[in-house]
Amino acid sequence: LPGLQLVQQGAEARVYRGLFLGRAAVAKFRIPKRYRHPALEERLSRRRMAQEARSLLRCRRAGIPAPVVYFVDYVTNSIYLEDIVDSITVQDHINSIQRSGSDTSSLLILAEKMGELLARMHDEDLIHGDLTTSNILLRPPTEKLDLVLIDFGLSFISGLPEDKGVDLYVLEKAFLSTHPDTETMFKALLKTYAATSKKSGPVIKRLDEVRLRGRKRSMIG
Amino acid sequence: MHSTHQLELFPDRSVTLLLFSNVKNAAALRKKAMEGSIEGALINPAMIVDPFQILVAANKAVHLHKMGKMKTRTLYAEIIFSLSPSNNISDAFKKFGISDSDTAVLIVLVVDREKNVNLADIASQVEGEQVPLDELPQLTDTAKVKKIYKVTPQEEKISTLLDSVVCRMSTKDVL
Repeated sequence: LPGLQLVQQGAEARVYRGLFLGRAAVAKFRIPKRYRHPALEERLSRRRMAQEARSLLRCRRAGIPAPVVYFVDYVTNSIYLEDIVDSITVQDHINSIQRSGSDTSSLLILAEKMGELLARMHDEDLIHGDLTTSNILLRPPTEKLDLVLIDFGLSFISGLPEDKGVDLYVLEKAFLSTHPDTETMFKALLKTYAATSKKSGPVIKRLDEVRLRGRKRSMIG
Repeated sequence: MHSTHQLELFPDRSVTLLLFSNVKNAAALRKKAMEGSIEGALINPAMIVDPFQILVAANKAVHLHKMGKMKTRTLYAEIIFSLSPSNNISDAFKKFGISDSDTAVLIVLVVDREKNVNLADIASQVEGEQVPLDELPQLTDTAKVKKIYKVTPQEEKISTLLDSVVCRMSTKDVL
C-alpha cells in the first residue's frame, strides 16, 4: 500500500497512517478471521464496517466529536478516516500526569468532560461498545481538554439502560485496571454523566446491578 | 490554472479540475454532457465547498468503476452521483450537475497516466473565462450546501462544512 505506515495491530484491525487525497488519514484494515465460515466472515466484516461508519456519522450529526469518514472500501474491508494529528490518548495523558506527579485536579476536570461527552453519546442512544481510555483522544493543545471519540467498530444503537450501563461498566473496568488510584476520577465522571444525561437514572441503576455480576462475583440477590 | 491531483489508491489515475466563470453557454454544455460529447463531469460550483470534496467523490467513483459496481452508467455520472447525499440519481444531477441558467461551471476530468488529454480543447468549448481554483470559495453557496446536506447546528460547532459534507458523501450507501 502506497505511503501508508503501520501504526498498530489490534485483534480486529491493522491501523495505518498516511495521506489520503492530500489529507492526514488513518486507514483501518479489518483482519480476516479465517476460522470463520467465509460467508459469515464477509457478512460480519461488512456489518461491522457499516456500523462503524454509521456511528461516526451519527456522532457528528449530534455534535459529538468523532473522526470524519473519508472512504469506505468493502472490497479490502478498509475504512479511511480523519487522522487527529498530534493527538494523544486519554490513557497516555493520565499516565503522564500521574508519572510526573503534577496537579491531579486537572484530571478531575478531564473526568467531568468525559462524563459529559458520554452522556451526550448515550442520549443519542449510541453505544460505543469498547470504551477505554485509549479510545478517547485529546486534540492538541492538550490543556484545552478537547476530546474526540474513536474506534466505533463494536458500536450499535440502543436505548436500553442495560446496554448503556454495560458500556459504562466496560469503561470503569478498563479505567481502574489501567490507571491505579483513579476511583475519585471515575466517580466525578459518573457524577457529571448523571447530571448531563436526561435518562441517566435507570442507567446508573443498571450499572450498579451489572457490577454485581461478572467474574468473581457472587450471584446472590 | 487548472489543478491536478493523483489518487493514492489508483496511482495510474489523476483528477484534473477546471473552473470557469461568466459562462454564457451553460445550456449547450449541458446538452453536450448529456449526449456524452464532452469529456468530463460538469458540476455546479455553488455546491462545492473545496476541491477535496471533488476528490472524495472521484475516488469513490473510480473505485466503484473498477469493481463494476457503479450505480450510474458512466464514470463522470458516478462522480456527480457520489457528490450527492441522496441515493436518487436524477436528484443528484439536478442539484450537482449544471443547469441552463448557470454562469459558472466546474469541469472534472479523470485521466489515465498514459493518455494525453487536451485541456485546451475542452476549455475552448466553454464560452467563459477560465479562472484559478482558489476562486471556488467565492462561488460556493454555503447556505444551499448546508441545506442540501442537512448539516445540523450541533455539528457546525464541532466540524467544518467540508468535513460534514465529506462524511455524508462517504457514508451515504451505509445508511
